[in-house]
Amino acid sequence: MDSTRGLDEAGGRGPTDWLGGWKTLFVGCAALLAANLFLWLFDYKYAFTIGLNSATHAFTTHYRALFWAELLTNGIFCGLWYGWLIRTGRALENPQAAPREEVRRIAVLWGIIGATSLSLYIEASFWPNWDGAWHQTMVRDTALTPTHIPMFYFFFPLSVVLALGAYIYGRYRIPALYSPDKGFPWSFFLLISAAVLEFMQVAFNEWGHSLWLSEEFFSVPFHWPFVAYGWLASGMFAVWGESILRLYQIEKSAQASEEAPIHSAAAG
Amino acid sequence: MASTPSALTMSAAERQRRLELRDLLNAKYKYIDRTWDVVFWVTAIFIVAGAADITKLLFAGDWDFWTDWKDAQWWPVITAFATIIIPSALQWIQWVAWRFPTGATYTCVCLFLASWIGRYFQWHVAETYPLNFVWPISTVPAAIILDWLLMKTRSFVLTSLIGGATWAFMVWAFNYIPLAPFLQPAVFMHHVMTVSDVQGIGYIRSQTPEYMRHIERGALRSFLGETQYVSLVFGGTMAVIGYWIGQFIGRYLAVWPIGRFIKTI
Repeated sequence: MDSTRGLDEAGGRGPTDWLGGWKTLFVGCAALLAANLFLWLFDYKYAFTIGLNSATHAFTTHYRALFWAELLTNGIFCGLWYGWLIRTGRALENPQAAPREEVRRIAVLWGIIGATSLSLYIEASFWPNWDGAWHQTMVRDTALTPTHIPMFYFFFPLSVVLALGAYIYGRYRIPALYSPDKGFPWSFFLLISAAVLEFMQVAFNEWGHSLWLSEEFFSVPFHWPFVAYGWLASGMFAVWGESILRLYQIEKSAQASEEAPIHSAAAG
Repeated sequence: MASTPSALTMSAAERQRRLELRDLLNAKYKYIDRTWDVVFWVTAIFIVAGAADITKLLFAGDWDFWTDWKDAQWWPVITAFATIIIPSALQWIQWVAWRFPTGATYTCVCLFLASWIGRYFQWHVAETYPLNFVWPISTVPAAIILDWLLMKTRSFVLTSLIGGATWAFMVWAFNYIPLAPFLQPAVFMHHVMTVSDVQGIGYIRSQTPEYMRHIERGALRSFLGETQYVSLVFGGTMAVIGYWIGQFIGRYLAVWPIGRFIKTI
């Protein structure tokens, strides 16, 4: 097997080197973990002091400021990233990439999907645990509670941005898989709708809590729609599946192109 | 070499398919290497853990958060239903992709890690509840048996009927070991109750009405424990239903969409 490790002839990294095609995965996950660590430490420091009473000035300067900062961060990141993906993607559109480059792009796609997976875990398991603990012990006097602000207003929209960004990346850069003339892939439809429905469920959740304030059960029926996103996110496995099949096609064509001169020489 | 009966009865198509799979396995690849395996199995942990935990948290969370909620009537029923759904989905995915009878175990190990991270950092460190009040259950031993059943029967119907029906009992039995110390009798303010009841009263959940009453209510303690076994049988029934919900997720939301497109938007 030809090695794809180390620096290649051109001095670059191979498509499946950890610092080559997989770099996106590490950079994306590191950024997510850093953001999550910051938000957890913020809550750890302020939740039991400033976060208890939403009517105070300190709550506005800390938690409402954090809420707006999160929305702005997500919005700016989304605008810059999508803008870059579309602008540079249009320049690449149509011509099929060389096999080596296409493999690298699939690795980058897996990197974005891996970061989306981490974001979904953080919003579906890490923060809901604190949310459950917080709301079963603390009085809820606002929709912007200390645990909601990181979970609902940072990681929920971020997952939508990442899932849709992964599709935009594939649409422009891996046309053999996600060319627009094929239609819209079911895999991304499920994955993106999972993230979008989750965000819409936040609205229903807050409405429900304003209506049924008296008891705080975590397994209450109006929480159940949150579960649907975890199920719909199974579309991620379809993204992995169809890109693996594409890798096999690339391998096959690479082998065929290597064997072709030998056959033609033998025939000659 | 003597031919086995299965080899004799194997159809030509099946033999051809096996040869193709063997070729795929032994082929020399230029771009497909172990990094794809590592990235897939590691990054899938997050989505699997997230999906399994949100399903458990929102269907059965309260019964998993506290020792005094781990009662004889609801806990075996709700928990059995909620915890088998995603393991079942992963059983399908890993079985059709690799013939690995490991999907349930993989899921439950992911869920175990996610539950403990959540319980330790959020409930214990951030909210200062003692871990012996808020420890999560483990479904790993039950999942190993569920995977073993799939490996032996090679049938999802049999796995659902046998494994699903016994899932409630297995989850209860394996978690009864850490729960038992909290079911010992204790006298608190001149009342006989369990240690877990004392925990529920001592560590106030002020946003719920639950700190004002015993969770395990009514006739449950006067039926000589029979309710427990009735609950386990009903829990098994619910787990069979949960198993097929998981199969739907695995078959139609994870595998079916591969390479399919919506033509008109």
